[in-house]
Amino acid sequence: MTNPVLEAIRTRRMTRALTGEPIARAELEAVLKAARWAPSAGNRRLHRFIATQDPTTLKLLRMVSPGMFQRPAAIVVICIDRAKAESFGMRPNAKGLYIDVGTAAQTMLLAAHSLGLGAGVVTSFSQAAVSAVLNVPGGLSPEMFVCLGHAAPTQPRGMPSRGPVTWQTLTQWERFP
Amino acid sequence: MAAKMVLNEDEALELVAFLVTAARTQVDEAAEYGSLRLLTAASRLAELIAERVSPETRTFLTGPLKQIPDLAVRTADPAGYVKSLDAVCHAVGEHLATHFGLDQKKS
Repeated sequence: MTNPVLEAIRTRRMTRALTGEPIARAELEAVLKAARWAPSAGNRRLHRFIATQDPTTLKLLRMVSPGMFQRPAAIVVICIDRAKAESFGMRPNAKGLYIDVGTAAQTMLLAAHSLGLGAGVVTSFSQAAVSAVLNVPGGLSPEMFVCLGHAAPTQPRGMPSRGPVTWQTLTQWERFP
Repeated sequence: MAAKMVLNEDEALELVAFLVTAARTQVDEAAEYGSLRLLTAASRLAELIAERVSPETRTFLTGPLKQIPDLAVRTADPAGYVKSLDAVCHAVGEHLATHFGLDQKKS
């Protein structure tokens, strides 16, 4: 069984090598627009996105992000709005906050893939340094980057899997014996 | 050999920033990322200086130092990973001995 959505999910990859070619502002906006429709716990929308295409800002963000191998043409920083989360009575480490970071990121990755862009996430960065570079207000915490650009023809070998992964190996049918 | 600058201020700052922020991110990340980050730092430094060093050092930086894939970590093949690191370290030792003339000294 397949369809365009399933095919897009199957063929998406983390892109860790990007060309220097810029992406169109309209493409970046399309990715952000898609993220607006990402699932959000309780429809609370506790996240804010910081989008940048400025070359100097991109360079500085890469400098403080040890996990960023690519040189992106644009970055969307997914932030948790901690002040807003607190207003809902949520604890700072409530799992919903981080799950929603993931749903927003995956939605952006798929949107980028559908547009023919390369995209990859980065979480290995200094939140303090990123906050300083972007002058992020105190109520927001940067949690994940979605790096966007055009995929380079040659990609670094990905992280090796620890054994074969299939949907069957990931799934337990019904109750554990 | 006369001292010469192989990094400008912007490049040096990039490396300082990488090392300092990696020290912080490593607190929360898998232990095996420690080696990964150090190798990434070495690789970035190598890329920055490659055009401004001696041909012999350039050969080392673009050859043996690049043998370990960018995203390699220990878990998938612990013995193979250590073997690869040992090979690079051996190449480091060889190059140092040559670069500093140790191999020319009479014992």
